[in-house]
Amino acid sequence: MLLDLTRWLEHSALGQGIHNSSWLFPFIEVFHLIAIAVLGGAVILTDLRLFGWGLRSQPVSQLARDVQPVLNAGLVTLIVSGLLLYISEGAKMYFNQAFRIKMLFLLVAVVYTFTWHRRITISGNGAASATRGRMTALLSLLLWTGVGLGGRAIGFV
Amino acid sequence: MSLLGTMQWLETTQASVWLRESLWGYPIVESIHVLSLTLFFGFAILLDLRLLGIGLRHTKVSEVAERILPWTFAGAAIVVASGLLLFLGDPAKFYGSIFMRVKFALLGLAALNAWLFHRSATWVKRLSQWDGATATPIRAKAAAIASLFLWCVIIGTGRWIAYFLPA
Repeated sequence: MLLDLTRWLEHSALGQGIHNSSWLFPFIEVFHLIAIAVLGGAVILTDLRLFGWGLRSQPVSQLARDVQPVLNAGLVTLIVSGLLLYISEGAKMYFNQAFRIKMLFLLVAVVYTFTWHRRITISGNGAASATRGRMTALLSLLLWTGVGLGGRAIGFV
Repeated sequence: MSLLGTMQWLETTQASVWLRESLWGYPIVESIHVLSLTLFFGFAILLDLRLLGIGLRHTKVSEVAERILPWTFAGAAIVVASGLLLFLGDPAKFYGSIFMRVKFALLGLAALNAWLFHRSATWVKRLSQWDGATATPIRAKAAAIASLFLWCVIIGTGRWIAYFLPA
């Protein structure tokens, strides 16, 4: 079913257009890369704060709220550019093991970021939960690193 | 020895051969390059957004600069080190790449922009004058826009190096 959808997208005008162009794919990739930095900066800044490093003069909750628009902008750009890249060679990606692992990491990372991670950052500023905050930050960094490594591996497998 | 001659000599070094021929060497260094880019450029973006009055508005400019910049520099050090290793993997070919040359020129401009902005010994004190202000002076905004523009184009040329290598 998912494979059928992938094939259909790949044969759409947009999918074919990107596939047949010599520069569109690398052009979209640049936006994907820039968005990685936007998202990554927001994630790392929040997680460093949970470790007690970086911007310490304000509560975690304030920093998390301030950074949220940056994180959202990065994530939306990543997903849109990623989808465009995907539909230009969907069937090939569909069977790529690194791509599958990346999607798994991505799903878990996004759900985690907007549920548990967010609950800890928005509620948390007390020293009582310092260890829990650090664990939350560590898992966040590991999950997003997994997404990044999976993405880089797509081209190698 | 000419620059090209130096590149051809570099290519014969053991480190270069290992990077080219090992199964994992190049992918690992490339992954480090991209991940550390996240730290370096991600944090540079945050400082630039703060200077533009768009992001982190509840944090003083001077605090963003003081607390974020050490991490930004750490990220930059890893990006540069891993980038040099990537270059070492195929120096003569990269030397001939137009995108690599453009990238190096733009890196010079970006470094100059950052240096001009940071050069004053009292720049943190100067930054603190803008702490309360959401809107920073026009010069600071210009530096932030130049930084964002240059780094985005540098990332673009970097990615394109691999697509358009000389034969």
